[in-house]
This record gives sequence, C-alpha cells and structure tokens, in this order.
Amino acid sequence: MPREPDPAIGKNRAMGSPSDAEVIGRSLGDPEAFGLIYDRHAATLLRFLGRRVGAKVAEGLVGELFRIAFERRKIFDASRESALPWLYGIGSNVLLKHRRAEARRLHANARMAGGLEAADRRAGAAALDARVLFPRVAEALASLPDDERETLLLFAWEELSYQHVAEALELPIGTVRSRLSRARARLRELLEPKGKRRDRSR
Amino acid sequence: MTPVDLAKKLRRDAAFEPAALDRGKEALMAAIRQEAELTRRPTIIPQLPYADIRAAVSFLERAFGFQEIRSSRMEGADGVLHYALVEFGDGVIGIGTQGAHGAVSPQSGGIESQYLSVAVADVEAHYRHALAAGARIAREPRGPDARAYEALDPEGHRWRFVHQRLREVPTKA
Repeated sequence: MPREPDPAIGKNRAMGSPSDAEVIGRSLGDPEAFGLIYDRHAATLLRFLGRRVGAKVAEGLVGELFRIAFERRKIFDASRESALPWLYGIGSNVLLKHRRAEARRLHANARMAGGLEAADRRAGAAALDARVLFPRVAEALASLPDDERETLLLFAWEELSYQHVAEALELPIGTVRSRLSRARARLRELLEPKGKRRDRSR
Repeated sequence: MTPVDLAKKLRRDAAFEPAALDRGKEALMAAIRQEAELTRRPTIIPQLPYADIRAAVSFLERAFGFQEIRSSRMEGADGVLHYALVEFGDGVIGIGTQGAHGAVSPQSGGIESQYLSVAVADVEAHYRHALAAGARIAREPRGPDARAYEALDPEGHRWRFVHQRLREVPTKA
C-alpha cells in the first residue's frame, strides 16, 4: 500500500530554524508569523482529514482547524517542540462534527480495500474473504465510540506515538493505552461475533 | 491479522490538489490580518456623519493621506456606501451616514460642533499637500501658531493638523 512519509514530528525543520513553539510565541505579537505553522503542517493535516472525510470536505475542515489553532495559540504549551500533535487534536475535534461524512468514507475505503486485496491475491476464496471482511471492518470502526475510534485512527493511520496521541487528545498516556486496548477488544468482538473465527462463521 | 492491522488496511492516501494548500493559506492569512487589525483598533473611535460617504473617503485619502480600511466597508446591495473606516497612524475614524445615530453633517446642520486634531510630523508638507488637493484652508500654518493649520473637508468638518515630533506618520507625496 502506498504511503506518504511519516509526519516526522519534531524533525520537520532545518537546523537553526525556529521551533513551532518559538514561531507560535512570536505570533502573539506578530500574528502573521503564524502562517509559518500552516506552511509546515497544512499538507500533513490535509492528508489526515482527507483520509477521514475525503479531499473536498477536508479542504474546508483544514481551514477551520487552522483558524481555531490561531485563536487558541495563546494556550499552546510552549514546552512542546512541535505543534503537530496539538494540531491533530484540534483536527480530531473538527472531525467529530463531521461524523456522517466519515462513515461514508470508511465504507468507500472498505470497498477499495476489498478490491485491492482481490486483485492482489487472485484467489477466489481469499478475494471473497477480503470483500466480505473489509466492509465489516469499516462497520466496526464506524460503530466504535468516538473517543476510541479517534485514538485508534491517530495511532493506526497517522502513526502517532502513544505520547503524541496523548498530547493531541490532551489525555494522560495511560488513558491512551487503555482506550487503545478497549478499541482493540471491541473490534475483535465486532469482527468475530460469539467468539467464532471469521472464516468459520460464514 | 490483529484488529489494528485490519484497520490499517482501510487507510487510504488522500490526494489533494496542490492549489488547495494555497487557497487555505490565503484564507488563513486574510483571517489573521483581519483579527490583527481589530486588536490594534483604538478604544475610542470618533464617528463623523457625511451626506456623501464615497466622496468623503476619497477626499480624506487624497487630501489628508488617510487610508480606508476596506474590510470594514458597509455597502448596500444598490452600491450605496453606508459606512467606512479610515485610518491615519494609529488613529481610526468612522465615516457614517448623515442623520444616522442623531449625528448631522455640518453641511446640513450649518454648525460645527467639534473639530478633530491630528498629529503629523511635518505640518508644512501636509499643508501644501492638502492645499494642492483642493482642501479649504481655514487657518494657515503661520503666525504664533505656525506649527498647526486647519482645513475644512467638503462637508465642512474641521480638521486641525498639529506638529508632533514623535509622530512618524508619513505624509503622502
């Protein structure tokens, strides 16, 4: 599966250029300096939102995200080097308002994943398995409680570390761990009802 | 496959047009500039009534070197300008409709109930510029009060321009 490079939190700047925290600090007196935060992170966040709600909706949401970030820049924790986890957190909140678009997107992704698996394997049984399985995964993801789905997708799709998920969602790292394990358990349960293995349950 | 691996399989790369990034940047910077402008706005803003707002703004820009804050314009669907803000240095003045809020243009009231004092670095240069632009001079920068002059705008509001060394407001050439 093609992947863009990791967001490279904290490594996304040349030596000697100011950290996000410094830029945000400067933007308190010189608001237009905040444009640099956009330059650094907008593409990553546009991809993040695009994965969840599609490119068209994502464009509007990324605008909302950065306007909220600008308004809240006074409360950015300056001890954090990178603003990216914080921006992910704002993005997650913006996404919550757009749950319906996200559910549609998940199902579209499931259809695509099913198709790709089918092409990959070229084996009748496996292809059928993928086409049946991925819609169920999409269903299961869509039916997770908001907080668990958000935690899981920041971890699994955006590949944020536990620490950065914790920063994004403003949670203790222990809560992130327990949410993730709850999400895992719930998915397992949703995907394999009554404890049966899925290849035998059909 | 673990549930997390399955979830990862549903991850799709989201392509976006590069222009989307530029559009977003432009919108953000516009919002930032607007907010920045609001926060540096002074706490007291004199509001001057005019019968012809468009002409007033144009004159204040041309003759006195004021600058309209375009984002604050209030324009009717019919193209009539109901309100505008102009700035000069760190000062802002509202240009409103004659008769609104009980305020009357001297042109129709026949009386000046106030005058506005504006600090400039070079009174003489400002005076010559205003004179050339057709301002009516009510008092020349001569005599014992040579470091100030007074002018009337087209509707008769009186403006007094006073020398103040520390003001770095450039006089429009």
